[in-house]
Amino acid sequence: MVLYRRTRSTRLLVVSLVMLSLMTITIDFRGGEQGPFAAVGRGALAAVAPLQAAVSRVFRPVGDFFTGLVHVGSLKSENDALREEVQKLRSENIESVSIQRENAELLALVGLRDQLDLEGVPAIVIGESVSNFEWTVTIDRGSSDGLEVDMPVVTGEGLVGHVVRVSGNAATVELIIDPESAVAGRLVGSGETGLVVGDTDLRDLTMELVDDETEVNPDERVVTSGYQGGLYPPRIVIGSVSHVTGGSGGVSKIITVRPAVDFSSLDIVLVVTNHRATSEP
Amino acid sequence: MRRILSWTVVVLTALVLQSTVFSQIELGGAKPELVFLATVVLALMEGPSSGALAGFVGGMAQDFLLNQPKGITALTLTLLGYGVGMLRQYIVTPSPLLPVVLVGAATLAGVLFQGIVMFLLNQLDVSGLYLLRVALLTALYNAVLTPFLFPVIRRIAESSRVTKVFRW
Repeated sequence: MVLYRRTRSTRLLVVSLVMLSLMTITIDFRGGEQGPFAAVGRGALAAVAPLQAAVSRVFRPVGDFFTGLVHVGSLKSENDALREEVQKLRSENIESVSIQRENAELLALVGLRDQLDLEGVPAIVIGESVSNFEWTVTIDRGSSDGLEVDMPVVTGEGLVGHVVRVSGNAATVELIIDPESAVAGRLVGSGETGLVVGDTDLRDLTMELVDDETEVNPDERVVTSGYQGGLYPPRIVIGSVSHVTGGSGGVSKIITVRPAVDFSSLDIVLVVTNHRATSEP
Repeated sequence: MRRILSWTVVVLTALVLQSTVFSQIELGGAKPELVFLATVVLALMEGPSSGALAGFVGGMAQDFLLNQPKGITALTLTLLGYGVGMLRQYIVTPSPLLPVVLVGAATLAGVLFQGIVMFLLNQLDVSGLYLLRVALLTALYNAVLTPFLFPVIRRIAESSRVTKVFRW
């Protein structure tokens, strides 16, 4: 009798939780960014961001340590008398590799900013998405630094994505490799435009809606077309052509684009603040 | 109260590690699902009620960090926690590999279920083959991590368990 009651109360609990989940999905799906749960999401982002920043700060040297090992690996065979010196060199090298990388990233970022006349807020990537089906990163700047939803994000190498959620101290950036992302792109050689979307299956980008008679060269650069009122400013590098399919019998060409940015090692980014997207066409 | 606090710490730690440390150490492009792992382990130890409740709370916490309709992970983990908790009652093997196998199988089923729900809600635009590949790799990653994380989660769960003291 007790067992039967316990089973019944468990079933009741599970049915209630499932109903609650379904109601949450429905309400949030219909409400979107203006829905009642969006504010809770921003609160969760603000609460977790300091923890992510702290953990990233602690574990970043671990990643640099492995990088450093590649450079000083040959020293391991040295005799005992040199071990102390090797240890010292190793720690210096780790620090040097890290500083050199950050320096190069900042220099490239400053170059891009001056070249394209962009104004922005530099930010550090403190975390990635917790899901395997969402390609976003969290940065350590938020609305208190002037960040707003839909602001473009770049690095010295090229286009990263755009801001999709902002809390007071952090923001979420949707990367251009996310299948939900779509960027208006332009082939530098021909000037032909198309839509660049994320393609997780290929781990690349795909440029669609390109005229079938367009001449496309290998390694040709693809930049943002920057149409009026669009999300991204013009002439930011998206990537380079790696493969072309279609284009016969009136079918538009599909171009595989290798992203310019290495998304696996994003560190310092620039959130562009002097470009605003407008909803009007 | 102690149990709620313990579970909050486990979920928060899992989410922070998943978005920082483990995003740098991917297995074939897949990250582990640490909240899935913790839910399965808890359901295995505590049964279907605690499994479902822990799954719902952990899933909802994960959902609020994502840019997708909230509730999808909560729904997945509620069912997963309940399912594993129920299954546990019919498994009598003393094999130490049981948690590893269960975590792997449950993660595979959970990720596939979550992917299908997201696809039906038009929130996922990947091929079936990609979904299967990610589900398999995530399941493998979680299974590999289980021998290291199972003792930690078990210890936390046991230390926060309410013990009844009978006085004569």
